[in-house]
Formats: sequence, C-alpha cells, structure tokens
Amino acid sequence: MIQLFRKERMWRAHELKRSYDVVIIGAGVHGLATAYYLGKDHGITNVAVLEKNYLGAGNSGRNTAIIRANYRTPEGVPFFARSLDLYEDLSRELEWNLLFNQCGHLTLAHTDSSVDGLRVRAETNQIMGVDSRVIYPEEIQKLVPALDMSDRPRLPVMAALYHPPGGIIRHDAVVWGYARACDRMGIEIHPFTEATAIGIDGSTSQNNVNAPQDISTPDGKITSVETSKGTIATETVINCAAGWATVVSQMAGVALPIVTQPLQACVTEPLKPFLNKVIVSANLHVYISQTDRGDCVMGAEVDPLQSYSMLGTLPTLEQMATYTLELFPQLHNVNVLRQWAGICDMTPDFSPIIGAVDGLEGYHLDVGWGTYGFKAGPVAGKYLAERIATGKTPELIEPFRLSRFREEALVGEKAAAAVSH
Amino acid sequence: MSRKMDSAPRHGVSFRGNDGSSGTATPVSNEQARVAFYFNGRSIEALPQDTVASALYRSGRRTFSRSFKYHRPRGLLCVSGRCPNCLMNVDGTPNVRACMQPVQDGMQVIHQNASPSLETDFMAIAEKFSWAMPVGFYYKTFTHPWMWHLAEPFIRRAAGLGKIDNDPNAVTDHPYEHVFLYTTTAVVGGGPYGIRAALEAAEQGEQVVLIDDQPALGGYLRYTGSVKNTSGTASHSDTPAEGEPTEGLDALVKRVNEHPNITVFTNATCFGLYEGRLLGIAHKNPDSSVAQRVTQLRTERIVVATGAYEVPVLFENNDLPGVMLSTGALRLLGLHGVTPGERAVVVGSTEAATSAANELESAGVEVTGVVPPDQVVKAVGRKHVTALQTAEGQLACDLVVVCGDWVPDAGLVAQAGGTVAWNEKRSVFATSDLPEGVSAVGAVTGESLPPAVGLSTSSAANSKKVFVCPCEDVSLHDLKTAITEGFDHIETLKRYTTTTMGPCQGKMCQQAAISICAEQTGQTIQETGRTTSRPPTSPIPLGALAGPHLHPVKRTPMHAKHDEIGCVWMDMGEWKRPLYYGTPDSKRESVEQEYWAVRQRVGLIDLSTLGKLDVVGSDAGKLLDKVYTNRFSDLRVGRARYGVICDEAGIILDDGTVSRVAEDRYFITTTTGNIEFVQEWLEWWLAGTGMCVHITNVTGGMAAVNVAGPKARDTLAKLTDRDLSNKRFGYMRCRQAEVAGVPSLMLRIGFVGETGWEIHFPAEYGEHVWDAILEAGAEFDIRPFGVETQRVLRLEKKHVIVSVDTDATSNPIESDLAWVAKLDKDDFIGKAAISRAKDRAPREKLVGFTMDEDVLPPDGCVIIADGQPAGRITSVRFSPVNERIIGLAWVSAGLAVAGQTIEMRVDGRPVTAKIADEPFYDPAQARLRQ
Repeated sequence: MIQLFRKERMWRAHELKRSYDVVIIGAGVHGLATAYYLGKDHGITNVAVLEKNYLGAGNSGRNTAIIRANYRTPEGVPFFARSLDLYEDLSRELEWNLLFNQCGHLTLAHTDSSVDGLRVRAETNQIMGVDSRVIYPEEIQKLVPALDMSDRPRLPVMAALYHPPGGIIRHDAVVWGYARACDRMGIEIHPFTEATAIGIDGSTSQNNVNAPQDISTPDGKITSVETSKGTIATETVINCAAGWATVVSQMAGVALPIVTQPLQACVTEPLKPFLNKVIVSANLHVYISQTDRGDCVMGAEVDPLQSYSMLGTLPTLEQMATYTLELFPQLHNVNVLRQWAGICDMTPDFSPIIGAVDGLEGYHLDVGWGTYGFKAGPVAGKYLAERIATGKTPELIEPFRLSRFREEALVGEKAAAAVSH
Repeated sequence: MSRKMDSAPRHGVSFRGNDGSSGTATPVSNEQARVAFYFNGRSIEALPQDTVASALYRSGRRTFSRSFKYHRPRGLLCVSGRCPNCLMNVDGTPNVRACMQPVQDGMQVIHQNASPSLETDFMAIAEKFSWAMPVGFYYKTFTHPWMWHLAEPFIRRAAGLGKIDNDPNAVTDHPYEHVFLYTTTAVVGGGPYGIRAALEAAEQGEQVVLIDDQPALGGYLRYTGSVKNTSGTASHSDTPAEGEPTEGLDALVKRVNEHPNITVFTNATCFGLYEGRLLGIAHKNPDSSVAQRVTQLRTERIVVATGAYEVPVLFENNDLPGVMLSTGALRLLGLHGVTPGERAVVVGSTEAATSAANELESAGVEVTGVVPPDQVVKAVGRKHVTALQTAEGQLACDLVVVCGDWVPDAGLVAQAGGTVAWNEKRSVFATSDLPEGVSAVGAVTGESLPPAVGLSTSSAANSKKVFVCPCEDVSLHDLKTAITEGFDHIETLKRYTTTTMGPCQGKMCQQAAISICAEQTGQTIQETGRTTSRPPTSPIPLGALAGPHLHPVKRTPMHAKHDEIGCVWMDMGEWKRPLYYGTPDSKRESVEQEYWAVRQRVGLIDLSTLGKLDVVGSDAGKLLDKVYTNRFSDLRVGRARYGVICDEAGIILDDGTVSRVAEDRYFITTTTGNIEFVQEWLEWWLAGTGMCVHITNVTGGMAAVNVAGPKARDTLAKLTDRDLSNKRFGYMRCRQAEVAGVPSLMLRIGFVGETGWEIHFPAEYGEHVWDAILEAGAEFDIRPFGVETQRVLRLEKKHVIVSVDTDATSNPIESDLAWVAKLDKDDFIGKAAISRAKDRAPREKLVGFTMDEDVLPPDGCVIIADGQPAGRITSVRFSPVNERIIGLAWVSAGLAVAGQTIEMRVDGRPVTAKIADEPFYDPAQARLRQ
C-alpha cells in the first residue's frame, strides 16, 4: 500500500553504454520477461533492452490479453501451463497488480468435428494435469446466461471446452511491471532506440539474406548490435521483436520460416458487467471478453493476406460485429469505440521458435508467436534466460527449436490453434 | 401524432420524490406541445425539433449523468454528441447521446450509472475516497492474489456505464441494413466549406455525395445565423473567397438540393476512411423501419470538410453542471430554442467570447462577466454552478459559457494514412500530408481558426478537481503524477491513465493531454505527438456494422421429399441434410435398415450438397495437375478419378472426384463445406499463369444422388437407355445419359463400397428424378439413406472424410493415402513437403481399428500409451456386417502395426482395441466392380 502514494519513476532513462553482456531487441512482454528472469534467476543484469518505439508499443499492447493453457499437443500443454502458473503469481512477485481475472475460458464448438476436437483437447489436458473439460449446453448456459444457446444462429452451440483457470489480464500492466522490476535490478531499458544491424565476427556487411530459398544460417559469433543511438558491443543478442522478427533476424543473416499477417480487434463502450468468461468460437472466428472496466474486447481471425499494415479494415470490423452478435445478439445496440490491428509472425505449425541458433553463436530467438505470444511471455522469458545463462536448452522449450523445420519435427498445434486465443 | 401523456410507462421504471430538476423550467405551451416521452417514468413534453437532451433541459433538468469513476454530477457540455455527459438509455439502447437523439412520442428514457437517481447517487461516495485512489490505484494495490480475488468482484460490479439486456432471446428484430455505393466525389461535412466543395465538384460534372452527421446541412451556420453575421460568432469564421457572392445558408442549401449531380446524406456519420478510398457511413433512422444503415461508399476523390470542434478549458470543477461549451450553449439556443441559463459568465479571451456574450444577451441571458481563461480559478457549486471564482473574486451565475480552443476534426485523414501534424502558426493539430485522392478544406486544415489559448490553468486551482478527461475522470493531477512516474510518452500516458480511452474517443481530452505532457516533459508539442487515430471516428453500434442478421439456409432440391418421408436433419455448413430417415428415438433401427438396404438391395442418397465445379479450357488438365497431388491431364475422356488437394506444406485441404467429360472439360466434386475454398484455391493458382481455364461453380444449379447396392443397376436400367453393364460402363467411368428423361452426368464410383452410380442433373428436376428412382427401385425394396448411414458404410471401407478424419496437420502419406501423391509428376502444390514426409519416418498414422469389447468410445477419444496421449479416434461406429465396433484413429507410428493393442478410456474405464490394416468390408473391391 505504501507505494500507492510514492511517486517513483517506473523505469529510468539511461545513456546507451558501449557494451552489454546481453542485448535484447524488443521491449514487449517477451523482451522484458527475458531480461527480468536473466536478472532474477541468474544474476545477469548488464543487459540492455532496446525498443524502437515506446514500451509495449507492439503486440504486447495490441493483443486481447487472454491467458490459457488448454492447448492440444503434448509439447504445447505443459509449456502454456507453466506460463499460466507464472502469471498466477506474477502480481505478487512484481508487486504490481496485473488485474488477472481468472474468470474461466470457454471454447465453443458449433459442428460435430469441432466437438471431437474439443474432446481430444480436454482429454490431453486432463492427462497432463490441466483443468479442462467438455461441457454441454445446459452447463454452458448456466455459466454464461447471456450467451445465445438457441438454434437461431446459423451454427448452434453444441459444446464447449471449459478451462476454469483461463482468463484475461491487463496487458500493458504486465509490460510496466516487468519493466519496473528490470529497472530495479539495474537492467537498462532503452525506448526509441532501434536496432539497425547485427555484427557477426566484427562485421555487419555479409549478413543480409534477401530471398532465402532454405532455412540457412551463417556460421560465426555475434559481436555487436548497431542502433539508432550508436553501436553496442555484445556477444549475446535476443530477438524478441514480434511482428518484425524476420526483419531483425535478417540483420543476423538468419532466415525464419515466418510470414507476417495482421490480426484485428475492437473494443466497445463500457457496459455494466454481463459477461465474466472468455468466450472463443473457432467456427465463428471471434473471441470476446468483458474487462474489469466494462468494455467488451473482440478479436478476429488473422487477415487472409500477408501484410505489415496496422490500419484496420471495414470488412473485418463488420465480420467481428456479425460473429459477436451470433453469440450475443443483445449487443446489437452497443457502440464500437475503436478497432486496431497488430501484426503476427505466423509459423507453419502455429508454434513459436525459441532458443539458440545452431552455428551462429550468441544469437537467440524468441519469435514466431503468431496469435498466442502474450500468454507465453513469462514462460518463454524464464526458460530462454535459463538457456542463455546455462548454455543448456531446457526440456520445456526444446520442441520449439528452429531446427525442427529442417528435421521435419513440427509441433501439431495448428489443428487446435487455428482460432483459439 | 397521438399524445401519450397519461399512459403508463412501458418499462415499469418509477422513481418517487425529487425529480431532480434543479434548473428553471421553461414550460412548453399547449399550442406548441407535440411530443411526449418518458424520463425515468415521468412524462416530459417536447417540441418536434427537440432532442431528448434539449427537452430535458427545457423541463429544468441540469444533471444528465454521473461520471465513470467518482460519480460526479455532469450536465450538458458539448450538445453535439461528442462528450460523454448526456449518455442515457433510450428505449433499451444504452449509451445514447441524448443531445443527438430526436424525441419521439412515447420514447422511454432512463438515466445510467447512478443509483437511486441522478441527483442522489450512493456511488458518489467514491469521490470521498478519491484521495486514496491516485492514478494507477489498481496497479498499486491488491497485488497479493488472494486480496485481488476478494476485491475484484466489487470493482467489476462498479464498472461500466450502460446496461444491456442479459437475455439473448429478448432481441427479435435486427433493423439494420447495408448498402454499397460508388461515386466520383464524396464530400464529408455539410458546413459552408463542404457545401461549396460539393457545388464546385458538381458544377464540373462530378457525381457528388455530400455527407453530414446533423439533421440538416449548414454546419455551425445552423445555429449562428447566416454567413454575413458569422464573423467570429462560432470562432472559425467562414469568409467567402474574394469576389464570390455572399449567399445565405438557405440559398446554398437550396442550390445543393436542386443540383442533379449531388446526393445529400444527412444524419449520416462518416465513421471511417479505409484503404482504397472506402468510406464507412452510418445513417441513423434512414427510414422508419431501419434503425441504422451502413453505406460503404467507394470514391475516386474525397473532400474532407469536417471542420473543427471546441474543447473544454481547464479549471477547478470545470465539469460541474452549468459549465458548458459556447457551441453547446449556442446550439441549445439556436437549434432548440432553449435558453441555457439566466445569468451567465463567459470564459474566453478571444473575440469569440465577446461575440458569444452578445448572442446570449440578445437571447435574454444576463451576462455578468467575460473572463479570460487564465483568470479563472474554479467553478463554485455543489451539484450545479452557482458562481465562477476568478482571480479577482466571485461572479454569481447559473451558467458558465466556455469558449475553448478548437480542434480540427481530422480523424478520418489520420486513419487513412494521412498526416495530422502540429501547425505552429495556428497552434493546432491539422491535416498536413493527405493520402492520394483526398483533399481537405476549411477548419480541418487549421485555416480560419482563431489563435489557440492552450493551457492556462490557474495555480490557485486544485489540480485534483481539474478534469482533463470527462469520460474517465482523469484530472490534471493524475496526468502530472503519471508523467512523474515515467509514463511520459503520450501513448503510455494514455494507457496508464486511460485518458482518451472513454466514450468520447479522446475528442474532449486529447489536445489537453498532449499539452500537459509537453509542458511536463519540456518537449514541444510537435515532439510529443498525438496518439494514433483509429476507426471508427464516432461510436458505431455493432448491429449497424453487422448489418441485417440473416442466416441463409441452403436446401437441396429434394428437401420437401425428405420432409415427406420424415427424417432427422443435420446441419452441414449452411446446408440441411437428412441424417437418417425416421425419428430421433429410432436412430439405431433406422440406420441399420438403411444400411442393409444398401448392402443387400439398393439405397438412394441425396448428394446435392456436394460442391461441383465445371472446369473448361485447353489448359484445364494442366491446372488440375498443378493443384491436385495426382494426375488428370492423362485421364481419358469418360473416366473419373479420385483426387486430393494439398497446401504447400503437404497438408490435405480437400478431396473429391474429377471426371473428364470432354477433351477440354472436367467436372469436379468437392466436399460440401469446401466448395468456395476450392474454387478460390484453383483461381489463385490459375491467376497470372496465362493458362486457358474457366472455372464455374455449378453447385446450386445441379442436384445429385447416389444409387448404390447390388440392385442399383437393375433400378437405373429402367430409367436410362445407357448400357450400364460392367463392360460398357465400368468402375470409375463417367457418361452423359438421360435418367428419367433428364439429361444427366452419371459417374460410376463407390464411396459406400457397392456397385453404384452418382447422378448429377439440373436442380429443377430434383424431385422428379428422386421420385422416379424410388419408383423404379420399389420392386427391389429401395430405401433412401442419410448421412449417418453413409458414414457407417464408408467407414467399413476405410474411406477417409477430409476434416473429420484429417485435420490441419494431416498429410497424404500419414493419412494412408500415399497412392494419390504422384511424386514422379512435375511440380504440384505440396510436392516438396510430401516428398520429405515420405522420406522421413512417419510420426503418426491414420489406421483402422476394431474394439475388443462392445463399447462405443466418443469421436475424439484420446489413445493412451504409457499414461501419455498417443493418438485420437476420428470416427467410430458399430459395423453391422462385422457385428462389432470399428473405427479410424490417429496413432503414433510405433503403434500403427496390424494387430497392435491400443488403449483408451471410456467413461473413466480403460478399454482396448486392435489395429486393423485391411478395410473392414470387401477389401478386394469385388463388389464395387460387379
């Protein structure tokens, strides 16, 4: 409570030093979490977190803030479950309330095959210790009285995957909380400092890959990062630049199997509380939740085309509205206040790429976060920090190595993650 | 119009005691009264030109809402639909801007966010604790999870403004529509500049759409008089160009209305300017049966003439009811004939202040003083302003008219990728670089605006009561604290304090927040910048965006026949299909009877929902070779072949049959749900190749049935002259034929594993052919069968259903369909990935299995090995011919060995099954070829 009346700076401004032990590119939830666990778990604090914009300007401030662990694959479930664990205790740990509302998460199914998909997920979750089960219309209606369960919509609700520990969180607060904790440990955060090149073996010239035909990486060792505010010597670089992961990786000459697609969302005017569950419908391509302020946040499916555009489009806004009203027709006279877009780094198997890169010493990835990056910030940060500090890849992130694409060892999350935020 | 003064309120809301009128009521005389509506159950008289807000104001009401956080009383401020102060529930619609809502007879208006009434709100206690709730309060408290779990429900309960009906079934009609239009020029904003731009373009022969969000054209001229006397009245004086005749508003509007090239949309808000010069326009009540219409207007050129709006001045208690923007007061006077107060003080240093004072005086308001903004300390009063405290003393009043700074309404331009930059000369953010095809005129460009006053808060004011953001109750003190805490970028300041994030979308507060941020950080306003403008520029209801709430249902041409027989329906995408014939409680018997009819005699199924494409052209075979994994260019005319489509990653997307009906013509079937996708996919891969192929979706135009079973040939022989013998019409052949006199395409294929023909024919003969086949088959005891029966039949054959037995990770190799991938063929979509999948060891495989006991696991049941998930069941059914339960499942490669026992849990009990590698019925395909 004392901090309530203390006017302390959350994080301080610093002059960029000439060298750091670790340079992290991207000060969103992933970059800051990695820095935080480097300092907290491993005592590595000579770290610079670079951000070309303000803190959390990228997808950390654009996502729909849903946290859940009810994934489908034996690789994905324990990973996201660990993230959920970390989130549950994070407010206390950071002494900063992240407003984590563990209201429960419902994935609706409107077709027979979707119901089957939910059963697979529920059973896999249960076997792996995640609280998740399939529920049917009567129970769904009890949990969410406002949901239209009649057969009026084109796709009636047939079942739902109920995941009680899932919920929503105040996404910006996670960024600020990590940033403050990093600052307290002496880790430097540099907003408006853009990484422009990555030096390998003392040179930045040979790294550009233009049209990579294959996933190839140069051999060598990271030596520096050039920024808009000067050059930094470092032997360790972490790419946490969601949305621009491929652009940053090209600076290191590492091509990534990632395409970038916009994802749009919108928010309504504040309403008195009527919905205290996260509702996701894969068949209707929409997810909706009501925040503690009362506004409803809706998100869409990723845009069908690759783009870096962050301008909202009218057809997508109309689709979000249409699908929302299929589920909650009584919202028809509720006003939309804003629509926005983030850009998502999509991998072929809807799973991230985390860890070191074979051959290029000192270069680390925490990318490919598609539409599910925010919920994995703590776990990715913690275990990547462990990888950097110990040189050993923890089992939990091992399936997400870059080389899996060469080894044909993809993670099967695409079947469940196609729409599931 | 009928008067309903005495009828009871419809919503049953009633309030006793104080009706809360604190101001002086101006009674509506009986001759004038036309309309009556209800406010909190009490009848209010109104004039036809009234809005809900103006009528309530006339009736003496001064408090219109309670603020979001502290529940401070709030009165009319902007009277133009921009600020959050008059949000009310009107006929069940929450958050209606009462100042923009025309009155209608019998309308039910109730207040929001105050209990029990606007005048006495228990939640106002929140303000007493405001000292303990500095900015960031929630982040800094309840950091222990258990505390948060206790506190959150209370915080949640207090959240929100408007209420919606919790009952989804309460909504029955969706009075919304969508319209799509094109015009050469669109002019957004019907003020004098917009009108003149529209006339100019129209004179040059352009087709012009002129859009204005008010009920009539004219902009500020509507409430400040004609062009001639506007110098300074509403601040952005609009002087006609030299030499141009000065016309009055009426004359201008008349010219617009009479011009054949101009279409005028009034009451229409242009809420978004999207890529490709697409305007989103929301029309309110375009006619009596439509609540909202959204027009998507494509244009060549857009003229933005959205003008500027006035924003509040910062002083203590600047949110007190009775403190009103000058434009608000003038709108009340000019548009609604409502006197905003009896004794007014005007705040403002510009010419505008004097002119506003003059206008008020001429309307009979006593103006007790004109005070420059930097002289104001605070507004005095508890629930309504009683005086204005200045540096020199108090001025008693019941109205403070504030002439604030003007902000160009440039949101549309910023959204469209244009630049809105700080105009140093005018001290405003105005349009600067415009997107192609977009121009701007008038006040939105910053021209013709009076010099801005900027921040001028008296140091004597209590900064905790100086409200910057009326929506979210963010004070000057809050913003300063946040900046000290490090939220010193305008975007982080926004997110931390939530200023600009409320229902006014930042219209009232953004300019002030930027100025404060700049002042506190020592940066220039240019360096500070603005927050990103996002669509919509005005709040738009979800219903309007969604449009008419239609649920198209597709029925096959034989739908009525199925109904006649009596069937249980299933939804397959938008289609309705018979699941089986019978009643819900006869499922097992019905399916078995249908099953044995097909296996022993003859059955008939309606396949009209299958996707059907007509692919024509000299390069058709080449295109199909590229898109399908197998080869079609070598398919001989008169033959059919099964084909699979994969994506670049080798994942199965769809399957179906491809028949070559002529040298340059193929007939393709797709799965029911994927037709649009497959058509798009083919066209995508065709685009830019220069190949000569035309693709037509003929799904809706064609009906289809499958006649299958040992007696299928005998049945059909009665209806067609075509020789159906094995020799002349063998397995996987296709022929044109007349069936029951209807020209048809017959395919001899066998999804269900019996001799059979798929017959495609014009949809209008659906019932005729259906009846004819049933009649011809009567002597063999023919039976129609449904999807459920078909699924059992095909499962016995281990025929895969795409998206039931496969998912977004399934390739042909592991799906037991390796034979369809012709890797010796030139490149095709997915070839590289499928080759690699073939070369590496499989990870999992789709296999058949038989249950060891008579237990039916659910589809989706997980296979378990060593306590870990090791696969999943995709389809499982009772097989009548095998008299046991069979199915298809994905299992890890190690388990995919014939005879291997697999385990699963059914209702918590472990059960086992055995992998089977052969089809469960007729593995040699003898019956198919009979």
